[in-house]
Amino acid sequence: MFRNFDIKSLMPIIVLIVLVVFFTAINPNFFSLRNFARIAIAASPFLMVAIGVTFIIVMGSIDLSMEGTVSLSAVIFCFAFLYFGGTLASGGWIALFAAMCFGMFYGALNGFIHAKLLIPSFMSSLAMGFVGIGATVLLTGGGIVRIDDDVFRMLLTYRVQGFPLMVYVAAFFLIAGLLIQKKTILGRNLYAIGGAEDLASASGVPVLKTRIMAFALAGFYYSLAGILQVAKLGQAESVTGANLMFLSITAAVVGGVALWGAIGGVFNALIGVLIVTVINNGMVVIGLPDYIQDGVLGALVIVAVILSTNRSTVKFVK
Amino acid sequence: MSTFIKDFIEREKISRRNFLFASAAGISASALPGLFAPSSALAHGHGGYALAWSYRDRASAYWNAIVSGGEAYVESLGLDKSEMVNLINEASSEKSLADIKAFLAKNNGMGAIACDANDSPNARPVVEAVRDAGGFISTIWNKTDDLHPWDIGDSYVAHLSWSGEKPSEDAARLLIDKMGGEGGIVHIGGIPANIPAIERLDGLKNALNDNPNVELLDVQSADWDTTKAADVMASLLTRYGDEIKGVHCANDNMAYGVIEALKAEGITGMPITAFDGNPEAVDLVMGGDLLATVFTNPHWGGGIALALAHQAATGAFVPSEEPNEHREFYGPSILVTPDDAAEFKKTYLESTPTYDWTDRWGLSAGQIQYK
Repeated sequence: MFRNFDIKSLMPIIVLIVLVVFFTAINPNFFSLRNFARIAIAASPFLMVAIGVTFIIVMGSIDLSMEGTVSLSAVIFCFAFLYFGGTLASGGWIALFAAMCFGMFYGALNGFIHAKLLIPSFMSSLAMGFVGIGATVLLTGGGIVRIDDDVFRMLLTYRVQGFPLMVYVAAFFLIAGLLIQKKTILGRNLYAIGGAEDLASASGVPVLKTRIMAFALAGFYYSLAGILQVAKLGQAESVTGANLMFLSITAAVVGGVALWGAIGGVFNALIGVLIVTVINNGMVVIGLPDYIQDGVLGALVIVAVILSTNRSTVKFVK
Repeated sequence: MSTFIKDFIEREKISRRNFLFASAAGISASALPGLFAPSSALAHGHGGYALAWSYRDRASAYWNAIVSGGEAYVESLGLDKSEMVNLINEASSEKSLADIKAFLAKNNGMGAIACDANDSPNARPVVEAVRDAGGFISTIWNKTDDLHPWDIGDSYVAHLSWSGEKPSEDAARLLIDKMGGEGGIVHIGGIPANIPAIERLDGLKNALNDNPNVELLDVQSADWDTTKAADVMASLLTRYGDEIKGVHCANDNMAYGVIEALKAEGITGMPITAFDGNPEAVDLVMGGDLLATVFTNPHWGGGIALALAHQAATGAFVPSEEPNEHREFYGPSILVTPDDAAEFKKTYLESTPTYDWTDRWGLSAGQIQYK
């Protein structure tokens, strides 16, 4: 049973444990419930983006639209929330559905442009990301939209077992993502397309439909990230999704999702997000000067990818 | 839909229409100079000089305020604000220079221009082009340290910039007072290599020099970003915990993140200072969540830059007869505190003060210093 066991698949978890031990050894405060809650708050919106992009990477494509989609969903959520009375009780909950529907629609549009108009996903999604940011600037006039509803903000301020509610929301959609990946036809088709698209197509996998659905699913997860960003910061603007593109793809790869497709999945995205968030938190906690943090993060990412991905069977990299 | 979109579309329509009118008028005026010249606005307020503001774009609240200052000056001459030509460089130094040359050529050198040259090295070719064409220009923000108006001549009227050091120091002193003169401070900074980030940190350090009982626990960059500031602040709480008695932020956006990170922990009443004087920050000062922010009056800066160029052009003053402190000077800054936030909001955000544009250096904060 252990003949096919690959130590490489456990490496991301080992990397995470080593990092936790390392930071704890230098500053014991790192290993505390309060700090884990802080890491979880930072990781929650970020995890939603990483799960979304993982579905696309597994399919062998790439999605770079997340910054625009997250910002636009967050701003649409805030405007809708204010339109429906500015509190969750008065009808603000409709805004939750509005934002999620928008994310799914925007993702589907992104997928349609890529798959139907035959534009490489790299280019089409990047362009859709720019469109999203541009639309956000137009909607907000370059300003900030604030949400001051104490009930909605309980996602950040109300804690159960030491963790804010938003962490449980993220955990719920993490499990949903795992189920989609493992238990649905869509989930299995993503791996079929990522492994060998021509074979999948010949075997009757509806490639076009699957691609559009995958991008819609990613868009849905980006909209969740947008809502959690508003829960975390109480505001939305055109830069609400800033930095998430590079970080989420980095996290997926560090966690063991291979950019050439069909390898890794939602669980790897979780581990990758935790690795990146732990590094970012730990560097401040152990007192690393800010000007070397970017360099250290980059170096650790390379080390993590070397340790956690199986590259022996890769014939080429591009 | 936001009114911004409507305003934006309306503005674009108007500027396109004006462009068409201007082109038509330009052609006819050159063909029939006698017919148009006496009745045109040129004869009344311009003193013969066409007015222009050259900048990147007005999408941010800050630049919108700068340009509105230029328009207020034009209106103070009894003209419509559309008489000011907007030379939008879209973050291209080449376009900035080309637009200014074209503007001067069209007006036979009779141009008074205010300009942010997009990047520092571009300021020299721009002011030299204006000098060679016989026009007048004031610059703001971008200029290399070795370029001075007095070396170029009367064509290069003045340069206006803002220093973050002194106002940031004032904010830090207020913060230290609030902390009772002792305890630990953390500084949440901008992108480390940005000049404003460096100046604002230097301001804090100046204030700390006279306050030996206050310790600067840590300086962490959050790249001007709200999300990153929230995450960095949370990490700092793990490292320093209760030692942190005050937070000094290099801009408003990062202060918003800090406030939320503290809110997540149930910490209230921590004194926090910020910088920029954005409307949201002023509201937070009024609500007691923020101790202070700094406002730099971009409306006045945008107006006075154009006023100086135009008044030098019309001969209202001669730049070379003015001292250097009138040719390279810092713009004003106002510390917004809980005591005056409501008054400040009423005066500067809900309405715009009317300035006397002939009081040319009334709000200057002194001659620009180079380090």
